[in-house]
Amino acid sequence: MKKIWEMTEGALVCCGIVVAGLLLQLFVGPVRWDAMAWPTNIVVLAVMLLGILVMHLCRGKVRVFRWMSTLHAGIPAMLTCAMLTILMGVTRQVPQGHVPMEPIGITDMLSFWPFVLAYVWLMVLVGMVCMTRLRLPLWHNVPFLLSHLGIFIALVCGTLGNADMQTLHMVVQEGKTEWRAVDARHRVHELPVAIELHDFFIEQAPLRYMSDVTVYTKKGLVVRDTIQVNKPLSVRGWKIYQYSYDETKGAESDISIFEMVRDPWLPYVYLGIFMMLAGAVCLFRNSPKSSHKVNESKITRDDDME
Amino acid sequence: MTWNDLWLFALPALVCWAVAAVLSLRGGWRRTVCLLTSCGLLIFGSYIALMWISLGHPPLRTMGETRLWYSFFLPLVGLITYVRWHYRWVLSFSTLLSLVFICVNLFKPEIHSKELMPALQSPWFAPHVIVYMFAYATTGAATLMALWQLLRGHDQLPAIDNLTRVGLSFLTIGMLFGALWAKEAWGTYWSWDPKETWAAATWLCYLIYLHLRRSRPQAVRPALLWLLLCFVCLQMCWWGINYLPSAQGASVHTYS
Repeated sequence: MKKIWEMTEGALVCCGIVVAGLLLQLFVGPVRWDAMAWPTNIVVLAVMLLGILVMHLCRGKVRVFRWMSTLHAGIPAMLTCAMLTILMGVTRQVPQGHVPMEPIGITDMLSFWPFVLAYVWLMVLVGMVCMTRLRLPLWHNVPFLLSHLGIFIALVCGTLGNADMQTLHMVVQEGKTEWRAVDARHRVHELPVAIELHDFFIEQAPLRYMSDVTVYTKKGLVVRDTIQVNKPLSVRGWKIYQYSYDETKGAESDISIFEMVRDPWLPYVYLGIFMMLAGAVCLFRNSPKSSHKVNESKITRDDDME
Repeated sequence: MTWNDLWLFALPALVCWAVAAVLSLRGGWRRTVCLLTSCGLLIFGSYIALMWISLGHPPLRTMGETRLWYSFFLPLVGLITYVRWHYRWVLSFSTLLSLVFICVNLFKPEIHSKELMPALQSPWFAPHVIVYMFAYATTGAATLMALWQLLRGHDQLPAIDNLTRVGLSFLTIGMLFGALWAKEAWGTYWSWDPKETWAAATWLCYLIYLHLRRSRPQAVRPALLWLLLCFVCLQMCWWGINYLPSAQGASVHTYS
């Protein structure tokens, strides 16, 4: 019997994942992301974290779990994700929520099972390797954890939270107050916030358009402000973006269209992003100064990893 | 300040860089080398600053304008590498590359006098693109060194690894700045438009290089070949998608 699992096994597992994904795609159809909405996503997250914890605790007994936190598993996983992402880059993708243009499903890559499973596998491996680094002295592992835990948090929370994100459009007439908005499927939602539009105007020279508004919430909060492109307004978890206006009337438009976004998972995604940023700074700062040190640090770190 | 004045600044800057490069190749003269390179950077940097002032926005909107930054950052990366890791040949490399980009701008400038579109009028715009330009310059240098080693066999590996690491850290920062900006401007931090898809693929490829180097330090040739592939991905991300049929009309990044 072979001593330990290595890179070849990593590649084989990835092949298996792609094949399994293709079969799922064939028999179940594309990934249904809308089914991920609360509370399914929190259950999935709990199961994933629990799974990682259990596998980590059993790593002394089960060789495969130990292997999962090594580069032998990680590199083929990254390679698979990279190849599928490149495939996505060279194929024309259909807009979100549309049906793929071909029978396999690669024109809707985000709902393509092999793509999704490959990234899930990669994230499980990243989670596993983070567990091995969550130990004392923590200080030595900070740069590693910042980048690895950062991508884990950002990607997992971003993906799971996507279905909870609400993007609605609200059309408001000058002088009127509106609290209803429509989603991408033209369903009307009544919101806990209302917008009163005092004035909509376009500054001709820099082609900048903006709306003078007062926003009311059900709990009695009143905010008066100007909303323009790149300068959204945040009220009670809702972000209000200047989205459009009556383009047939141009500057004379008496309506303004706002995009209302609610994204309850956003703080966690931001946490991940800022951890990755700090990790990137560490990566830059910690580049060894001379070639001698490169080899030294490499040896000690390799021991750490495996 | 217009494109017609470019040569007035580019020429003295190039002379400074070239003299510094020759001096550093011969060894010694470290202080003079640093001083001359900085001098060239100052001259070229002031052209960019003057363009910035006369345009009223950072010169980052067209390929020609981003090439200015590339020509600026290459010698800067060269200088940092020279100071930190004492490579004598690196300034010749950076000067030569910078010369190529300046020549492209001098002889084939892509000038657009269009105003920035509203979505680009953001404080995130300049850092996002400048960080990416710096990353392109660093990874470009690493790629050339990898080619050099593959063809001539000189061991440049520690330098290649360092430059790639620095390049990857800047790619990461540029990408995440882009995500934060997109959230601010469009309401989603990542929408998988073709530029973003290729940025993700490129980022993953460079990530694989670093992990591969750690996992198999002896497998030098495959790693270097992989690094070349990474750079091909990067080119796709930078300008290749403008010619890619699958990306036509689907990107918010079509201006670059």
